Amino acid sequence: MMQTLRLRLGNSRKFLPVGATVALFAIAFLAGTLFFPAMRDGQSFFNLFITTPFLLILVVGEGLVIISGGIDLSVSGVLALTTVVTAALLRDGWDPWLVFGLMLGMGVLFGAVMGAFIAYLKVQPFIATLAGMWLARGLSFVISDSEIRIYDPLYRTLSGTRILIPGLADPVTKKGDYVTILVVVALLVLAVGMYIAHFTKFGRTIYAMGGNNGLNEQSARLMGLRVDRTKVQVYMLSGFCSALAGIAYSIYVGSGHGTHATGMELTTIAAVVIGGMALTGGEGYLLGGLFGVLITALIQSLIQFNGQLSSWWTSIVIGALMLVFIGVQSLLATLNARQLIAGRLGIAGRASTAGRGRRAFWRDRRVVVGAAAVVVLLVTVQVFGAQNGARGPGDAGTGCQLKPFRQDRATELMKGGAVIAYERNGGSSCVDELYAIYSDGRIVADNGTQTIEKQASPTEVEALLGAIDGLGWFTDNMYSTSEIQCGQCFTYYTAVSFKGVVKTVKAVDGGTAAPANYWLMTSRLSTILPKFGAGSQ
Amino acid sequence: MSALRSVFSRSRLRESRLSVPILALAVILLFDFVFVPGFFNLEIRDGHLFGSLVDILRNSTPTVALAIGMTLVIATGGVDLSVGAIMAIAASVACILIDPRIVGLNLQGDITAVVGDPTYSFVPIPIVIVASLAVAVVCGLWNGVLVSFGRIQPMVATLILMIAGRGIAQLITNSIKIIIFNDSFAFIGNGFIVLPFSLFIVVALFAGAWLLTRRTAIGLFVESVGISFRASLYSGINEKRIKLFAYAFCGFCAGVAALIAVSSIRTSDANQIGLYTELDAILAVVIGGTVLGAGGRFSLLGSLIGALVIQATQTSMYAIGVAASAITAVKAVMVIVVILLYSQQVQDLGRRIAGRLARRQAAA
Repeated sequence: MMQTLRLRLGNSRKFLPVGATVALFAIAFLAGTLFFPAMRDGQSFFNLFITTPFLLILVVGEGLVIISGGIDLSVSGVLALTTVVTAALLRDGWDPWLVFGLMLGMGVLFGAVMGAFIAYLKVQPFIATLAGMWLARGLSFVISDSEIRIYDPLYRTLSGTRILIPGLADPVTKKGDYVTILVVVALLVLAVGMYIAHFTKFGRTIYAMGGNNGLNEQSARLMGLRVDRTKVQVYMLSGFCSALAGIAYSIYVGSGHGTHATGMELTTIAAVVIGGMALTGGEGYLLGGLFGVLITALIQSLIQFNGQLSSWWTSIVIGALMLVFIGVQSLLATLNARQLIAGRLGIAGRASTAGRGRRAFWRDRRVVVGAAAVVVLLVTVQVFGAQNGARGPGDAGTGCQLKPFRQDRATELMKGGAVIAYERNGGSSCVDELYAIYSDGRIVADNGTQTIEKQASPTEVEALLGAIDGLGWFTDNMYSTSEIQCGQCFTYYTAVSFKGVVKTVKAVDGGTAAPANYWLMTSRLSTILPKFGAGSQ
Repeated sequence: MSALRSVFSRSRLRESRLSVPILALAVILLFDFVFVPGFFNLEIRDGHLFGSLVDILRNSTPTVALAIGMTLVIATGGVDLSVGAIMAIAASVACILIDPRIVGLNLQGDITAVVGDPTYSFVPIPIVIVASLAVAVVCGLWNGVLVSFGRIQPMVATLILMIAGRGIAQLITNSIKIIIFNDSFAFIGNGFIVLPFSLFIVVALFAGAWLLTRRTAIGLFVESVGISFRASLYSGINEKRIKLFAYAFCGFCAGVAALIAVSSIRTSDANQIGLYTELDAILAVVIGGTVLGAGGRFSLLGSLIGALVIQATQTSMYAIGVAASAITAVKAVMVIVVILLYSQQVQDLGRRIAGRLARRQAAA
């Protein structure tokens, strides 16, 4: 028993990428709880699972494909197609369980066709699965151009049921830490995936095929393994996972649409790489994929807790992390190759060349290592540092309370004769400013604790109103964005009355959904507004 | 006459790598000829040439520019997934230099006075162009360094920038859509000198790339690196520099594509500019007969025709009323057809069936 264990763990270097992932997750999570007290709540840990069950399911399928030396770009496309077909069939009154079965069959079929192209027609996996992605996305738009909502009662049960964590929740009051059914399903899929990868003949063939620039595939073929058949099967498995993830996604968001999960194939591949699986194939563990998913979820929640950083920092951090992990893998690959050669030359040769070899090795890679170090440093400072700078002396890290959005008060001000009412709420220091501009040039600003007033000339106000009208304020080009408020982004509410017409627009920053001229308007508007003094912000 | 016959002989056509893309283009144009009335109509208005064919040429220019760069990268045995992200970065740089006030830099002055001002630009337009191209080249160099000096698999190395690039682009513009009012900048993508101006840019880029690879040794070096970087190294070619050049050039082409794209729609949207264009570019190269993943022989003209095939398909589908969102399904079918045309297995099968038919005929 011990011997088998030692045999399995023999080359501890094999586990380094996975170990690094787990360690990184632990460090980042601990750092998060240190900087952001809200993260100390146990539920914030389980939320990392709750927000990503579909991603974990995709990672299991994609991970196996990547270990086999291929790549599957179609995962998000098949996911979107599944959500649309599911929603369409449920709308027509089909039995949900039958629909689930059909969808899984469709996913397997999709994977089988792509796998056949790759295995028997020798098409590059990249091209074949790219075609698969386009076909799936295109088909979902052919089925329905608009989003289909799902109202099935089973969906409400599946998405609403909370599974309480034993020991961390009170079973009587049903309060405390919980996960959802989807999380349990995703973890089950992971367990099955790990069983397939490590305890079946199929799994061993997958590992044997991948890596070494296709040379291992040749060796596997020469050993008599049924490489082509395994290839088709692995893409079928990935198709199955994509369809299952599609069902999970439709339960999570409660609808089906062709734009669901756009670009998720990239997030999936990133999570696989961060999880320590080499994109060249043949190496890595599916368990690492779990931590890859958790790290991507953690980055998102850290950025939300930070509040000052916009959502696009997520992709930058994920890119930087990928750079680090790919760097670690390429280092290990070279080290292993060197050790192999040294071993063949005998101990004597090894001793004399080891020192020189190591120096040459670092010299070869100093550019990459240097670049990676700089990028990681910058990103870390951004994610954790910004909060430090913003924290006031008396806050002691408690952060601030976001004040309620005073949309109703703004509406009252408009009724009270204001020509412009402008509310700006949010940010890392919980700003809550409400401005009212009157046609006689009087501007009243109120931030909850103090009220200041400024007198501008009526012509200035008139010019401002004309400018706002000129920006297309009263046309359809100016629209409210219904984007979900991100962490502590700013939310804006603006009402303008001009020539007897009143129009209000609400927008949230941190996305590009808001009309471009809206920001032109806010910058134009801010030139006239009075400033709150220092300390009150 | 015999010379003509040898040019059009079957074996010659089969061997030429251009036969598949030309055939594909011909099939699509034939389709349009039959099903879309007036597709080939051209008319001159205000001294500008208009018509569906001109539209195809004009709309394909960003993809052609990307495909030129992508061809060289694929010929070195690599691939560049980040061109779409590089486009977004270069476009953001261009917009921020034309109008930096929108993101809160230099907020003095009356903004509305210059909103809609067709002559306003914060820095002169030539500098805008040079700066965004330079940024694109730097992005390309980053990829090149990772691939050549870092010895990271090209698909993996460029995936990093593909994922992070759009974030960086949004960082530059603060995620705000910037509208470009400057007319001389908009001329790049919207201008006409009888034909669309962007066409001349892309033709110049193509001519430059062709001269560089076919009239100097660089083309040969690229092919040799693609076939075997080790053999190239031993024969004295600095394969790292060749790869670095290929990725930097690809970045440059992405910069050109970005300028055309951003000036033709007059808005920078870091989330949308160049989205999925890397896939179009790779597809154009593959249709053009350059083999993805193998490296070696490449055909710039093939890639150019490949890009035209993609755009012609897209325009024809719009013309017969296929919804814009469903167009990807049509593209997928096209990819599958092209894959089958190129596949050695399918060709063998066809030959075997033809042989069997011939034998059966001989027996009968």
